[in-house]
Amino acid sequence: MHERLSFYIKRNSVIHHLNPLTKLTLVLALILIAFTSPWYWTPHLLVLIAIIPLSFLGKVAPEFFKTALRLILPAAGFLFLMQAFFQPVGETVIFKFYFLDMTQESLMFAFRNATRVIVMVSAFTFLLLTTHPSELMSDLTRRGLPGQFAYVIISTLQILPQMQAKAQTIISAQRSRGLDTESSFIRRMGSLTPLIGPLVFGSLAEVEERAIAIEARGFTSKKVKTSLHEIPDPSSDKLIRWVLIILVIISIALKLWLS
Amino acid sequence: MLEKIKNNFNTQTWVLIPIAIAINIAIGQLVLVLKLPVFLDSIGTVLVAVLCGPWAGALTGALSNTIWGIAIDPSAFPWWPVAAMIGYMAGRMAQWGFFKSWWKVVVTGFVVAITAAIVSTPIAVYLFGGITASGSSFITAYLLQTGQGIWSAVVSTSFLTEPVDKITTAMLAFAIVQGLPRRTIGGYPKPEQVEVEGGEGEGGANNTQMYIAIGVVVLLVLFAAFMLRNILGG
Repeated sequence: MHERLSFYIKRNSVIHHLNPLTKLTLVLALILIAFTSPWYWTPHLLVLIAIIPLSFLGKVAPEFFKTALRLILPAAGFLFLMQAFFQPVGETVIFKFYFLDMTQESLMFAFRNATRVIVMVSAFTFLLLTTHPSELMSDLTRRGLPGQFAYVIISTLQILPQMQAKAQTIISAQRSRGLDTESSFIRRMGSLTPLIGPLVFGSLAEVEERAIAIEARGFTSKKVKTSLHEIPDPSSDKLIRWVLIILVIISIALKLWLS
Repeated sequence: MLEKIKNNFNTQTWVLIPIAIAINIAIGQLVLVLKLPVFLDSIGTVLVAVLCGPWAGALTGALSNTIWGIAIDPSAFPWWPVAAMIGYMAGRMAQWGFFKSWWKVVVTGFVVAITAAIVSTPIAVYLFGGITASGSSFITAYLLQTGQGIWSAVVSTSFLTEPVDKITTAMLAFAIVQGLPRRTIGGYPKPEQVEVEGGEGEGGANNTQMYIAIGVVVLLVLFAAFMLRNILGG
């Protein structure tokens, strides 16, 4: 059927059997600690002693490193370079290039910020690799998240690849009819309308039909809905969540206390 | 208050939001293919905002950046408050009747741009120390080197780059809304907000006004380019 935009990989591991909310808490805790901890090396340590071992534990390490190389490192590396060169802090100049100079302080600052971004993104990647989006959403819905939110997230992930494919088709079609997408600025600006038009009107035409279809399935009904899949939530999961929350509180408290 | 938020959302709103998010992302990538110096990544958000209301617009913006961050480019994630504010402001402007003719749409775009510039500044300063991974940071970096304070450097960069992008976005969204059949628009919570004012036929949406509006955008582009040359040259 439809291709779904999802990183999820079905494996049989301890992490895969955790409750989705526990994994979400874990990810948010990692990010919050990386951003609030007063100690300079915390984000770096988190990557080494938490995120990478966790990806091995979840048996998704090869995919994790592939995503890291393709997505995370280029973004973090670019941020690192921009900040290392452009931050106007510090005195000890290490490297000079025209009006830009890299100082020891800006280098340290950039290194930490880039690692924080790595923690943020790789933690999310880890969550997406080990958790199916519908599983996460149905667990959150069961805990009281309005069903409409779950619908928006899941159906966006479904529509997006279709829309991207449609955009590619429209570009190719208009190019084959001689639409200029490569020459001067004015021409390219002008070719925006024949590209956006078909894409947007085509998708907006579906809205009413979809609305009627989901309304027929009781979308706005206030009754409690039953679920086909029961997602287990053992007490060990609750314990893990509490430990994580306490760790975050400690990190924030230390930050406030020390600064 | 809660009632006001609720009346933004009917079933058609909920169906439109995912499509709007996909439009944001697809057009954002399409613009990259065309190598245009704008983002145009909030057309869907503005559409939802004017058709359904400010709160629906804000939700679309926030979710749009979240999903963009999760699925495509992780560095988009921290900017969700900016996207939410764009949706909210566009919705408010539409509520005040500023989405009914080309020149009003230009005003909407400008106000949205100023809002976006103001909201994005603290995020850029606190989270990234002023230098983000976007191309316009070269301007910020230059301003910093010339001895400007970090806040003023970041704010002036946004004020130079945002208006062109947001006015173009608002105008494209207006053109799209005008192209939709009346019957479709009627199903959304706020169909009266996009009703074109003026008497004869197309009224406020006539071509002369459109050309004037496009002229304003071109002038703004030239002005921004001129300012840039002044800043970088002097």
